[in-house]
Amino acid sequence: MRRPPILLVLVAVVMLALGETAGALLSPLRPAVERYARARVAANAAAHGLTGSAEYDDEVRNRAVFTAEAGISFFHTHAEGLAPVILLAGTIVASVVAGRRARGILFGLLTVGALFPLGYVVYALAALEAGREAGVALAERYVLTPLGASAIMALLGLVVILGRAARTSQPAR
Amino acid sequence: MIEPTWRLPPIPVLLVGVVLIACAELGGGAMAQFKLELARWARGTMLARPEVHGLVGVRDVDEQILDEALVKLDGGLRLFHLHAEGMGTIIIVTAMVATSLVGRSALRRTIVALIMVGGAGYPLGYLLWSGLIPFHGIARSKRLAEWLVWIPFGSAAIVAMWLLAGALAAQWLGGRRSGDAA
Repeated sequence: MRRPPILLVLVAVVMLALGETAGALLSPLRPAVERYARARVAANAAAHGLTGSAEYDDEVRNRAVFTAEAGISFFHTHAEGLAPVILLAGTIVASVVAGRRARGILFGLLTVGALFPLGYVVYALAALEAGREAGVALAERYVLTPLGASAIMALLGLVVILGRAARTSQPAR
Repeated sequence: MIEPTWRLPPIPVLLVGVVLIACAELGGGAMAQFKLELARWARGTMLARPEVHGLVGVRDVDEQILDEALVKLDGGLRLFHLHAEGMGTIIIVTAMVATSLVGRSALRRTIVALIMVGGAGYPLGYLLWSGLIPFHGIARSKRLAEWLVWIPFGSAAIVAMWLLAGALAAQWLGGRRSGDAA
């Protein structure tokens, strides 16, 4: 099997490394993450709609901290899961797609798509900085959707090319 | 000159990755098949150690404590299943990348050894945690698993990943520079 360009491999391996490191934040470093999240919510009281009522504010704070921790957890699982998929898809593109231009486009889309899990880091940070709903919406609109769409388009493109090759019963390369 | 094709990682590394994935599959099946037996065994073991779990002999209080411990035990087994499936794949993939793209043999061997040992050991921490809960309680079992397995093996895997990322980045930058020079 041919290997994809080194930039694609590098991005996938960096995502794996970041995903593994984020796993450590979820367990031994969890108290530090929670302290940081609570401090950021307090520093952005207006964005979170804190009212000064202890009971209500505690509920808002807990939900924001939960969202930030969920963001890190999603980042961990998506980075560990998507990077091998991108490497596998890149290997299939390198091995079976004949056209240089088509290969270049698919490699580009896959490389950008490999960054998709970073959207969950933005999700976690934006939920703390801009308030829970606004932060999540921002991450989904400007980061998760474009990066996810890139990966999806690359995979659909690969499906179309493989489908054509299968119909003509000959290798695409 | 590094060939633009993937090279096969050493067979023992492939074996470790595949065994880990097989263990994860078996673990997933066993969890479902022996769920009742496991719960009965854990409950009996915990009831035999009331002081470890803070059982007071009041049914309402004790049932809540036992339920929480059983949920954590089940969660540990699920996390073993998930992490072993994931790490088995990652061991194979990253060892293939290192074998194909890291030119310096000492660095390559270090990366492959660290990812193999770290990646294979880390998921076992979840099994250890689950197995220790009935004997030592939730918190003490977690501390033991953290210090005996998760921190050392997890750190080895993280170091391997960053070494590999660094080696690839250096190679990519080197390739760009030689491209610029050409």
